[in-house]
Amino acid sequence: MTDAGAAPRRLHILTVIMRFVKRAPSTLVVPPLALGFMGREFHPVLAFGAFAAIAAAVIVSTWLGWWCFTYTIGEEEVLIQHGVLRRERRSIPRGRIQDVSIERGPFARIFGLALVRIETGGGKAEEGELDSVSLAEAERLRALLRSYHPVATVVAGDEPANAEPVRRTVYAMSLGRVLLRGVFGFSMLWLAAIYGAIHSLDRVVKFDWEKWFGEAERVAIAQFSLLALALVLVVALLLGVIAGIVRTLLRDYGFTLTHEPGRFRRVRGLLTRSEIVIADRRIQLGLVHRGAISGRLGWNTVAVQTLGGSDDPTGRQELAPFATAEEAAQVIAATPLPPFERIGLRPVAPAHILRSAFRHGLPVALAFGIAGWFLPLLWWGLLLVPVSVVIALFQRSHHRYALRDTSLQVMRGVLSQRDWIVPFESIQTLTVRRSWLQRRLGVATVRVDTAGASGMHRPDVTDAPLDAALALAQALAARVD
Amino acid sequence: MTLSFVPLTPLERGQLHVIRLRAIRTALILLAAAIAAEIFVPDLPMHGVILGPVLLLALWITVFAPGRRWRRWGYAFTGSELHVEYGLLTRVHTIVPVLRVQHIDVSQDVLERLFGVATLVLHTAGSDGNIVVLPGVSRTTAEEIRDAIRQRIGSAAHD
Repeated sequence: MTDAGAAPRRLHILTVIMRFVKRAPSTLVVPPLALGFMGREFHPVLAFGAFAAIAAAVIVSTWLGWWCFTYTIGEEEVLIQHGVLRRERRSIPRGRIQDVSIERGPFARIFGLALVRIETGGGKAEEGELDSVSLAEAERLRALLRSYHPVATVVAGDEPANAEPVRRTVYAMSLGRVLLRGVFGFSMLWLAAIYGAIHSLDRVVKFDWEKWFGEAERVAIAQFSLLALALVLVVALLLGVIAGIVRTLLRDYGFTLTHEPGRFRRVRGLLTRSEIVIADRRIQLGLVHRGAISGRLGWNTVAVQTLGGSDDPTGRQELAPFATAEEAAQVIAATPLPPFERIGLRPVAPAHILRSAFRHGLPVALAFGIAGWFLPLLWWGLLLVPVSVVIALFQRSHHRYALRDTSLQVMRGVLSQRDWIVPFESIQTLTVRRSWLQRRLGVATVRVDTAGASGMHRPDVTDAPLDAALALAQALAARVD
Repeated sequence: MTLSFVPLTPLERGQLHVIRLRAIRTALILLAAAIAAEIFVPDLPMHGVILGPVLLLALWITVFAPGRRWRRWGYAFTGSELHVEYGLLTRVHTIVPVLRVQHIDVSQDVLERLFGVATLVLHTAGSDGNIVVLPGVSRTTAEEIRDAIRQRIGSAAHD
């Protein structure tokens, strides 16, 4: 850290020309041509005038943008300032920099430039981007910024190169287990698709029959259609089950999860064997999920959420897709996560029942109520409203949480159940939210934001009594330090 | 009523003007669209069926809403956490532990510069709430908070 180069620097001047060339198709070709052709015939003077004016404007604005963009590598932070009218100063603490990558697109290669991306482990949009500097400067920056954080290389160097790592199997699926999972992997979507396809085929068949056999066959056809409908349903059901089994077999065949010091290795797949490595320290939280039917029969899915990296865009990784409670506990025990404990979990406020009834019943009532206006058959869908209300009655007893020694633990869901283990060190921000209704009911939702989350389900504590929610948020915030 | 975490500081008075001017900008666009609709939409049952409601809406967002929204904002910096609270219908109180901050932006657009306020943006590694925005603080306050956070992260990284 001798030469930090504390003076602000600008990007390479050739960047202006590169951006000008990149923007040319959208700015310099289309608008002048459009203007030129505005009348009945082509006006070359108008088109050229527009071309010159736009070119000048683009060059000036690109140059201004370049002039106002500076970066400074300080002792403690990288400071990026940009913006002509809206001045923005971004400071990236050097301790936060995970990696520095150099990208060279075709244009950058032509101009001998490189884009430097300073990765901090946050989302893509919030990183530092230097577009573009000379290749030499890019390499200098990378060396300089990496030198601050030598931890990663030291860890890698610590491992003895010749010793075989101790690897043990944590969880594996037998063929029988894979097939069993396949039966539950039956999806309604498949059913709908297959049914739709066959139904449209059936219509064609019916049409042809009417045409060929005439009026006299009408009754027979009606009976046949009813029978055909039943048959189609059975066939679709069967096909759905088979499709589920085949899909699961292709994906999960030979599922093996092994653990060696510092990381998990998961291998699975019949035709494409996929192998992924999950480093222990990238694990953000643990989730045990039980499906509506398979969960009642004692089957669990264990997944972990990992720090979003380039190789795992989904965020969550299945460690054990179809495990008994005992096996699930063993998998969790192999991770750095603490075990999920059912005892001592606190329920949320009784108001949760009311809000769940609203949240689940109201959309159903509205959807079928409105659809019923157009297709009266859909009025029957309103029968589902009491069902969601009944489920809501159980929501509260199934939504509990507790603050353990090192983690927040939350369970939620009546039919489909989820147990969350959120270590304190994974918590990024905490938010206490109170909607209009929640304020009337004196409850609040505590949202726990973690890295790499995606999809619908989050380890939030919904509708805790206000004082309990405040205490929870405060306690969690205090434990981050 | 604020949540009883910490005493919150209100935003700068200038931010009220920023909110109001932005609302006026939105209202003008809405009114222009409504007037255009009144002129060009054929077979309106009577004059003002579009303009009337839009006028009321414009009145609400420029005259009544800005003050209420401005009053709902509050923040507190405790040294180890930044608290930000806002929201008219849904009340939101976010806590950012300083040690989780990845990087910090301080920005000022033309309007903000005119009224002497700035926006502080904290980025964390989270997924939904990874960007926490605190508008309407003076530039010095924003920079003080930024420097304090930076120092805190820096000293933690050296441990």
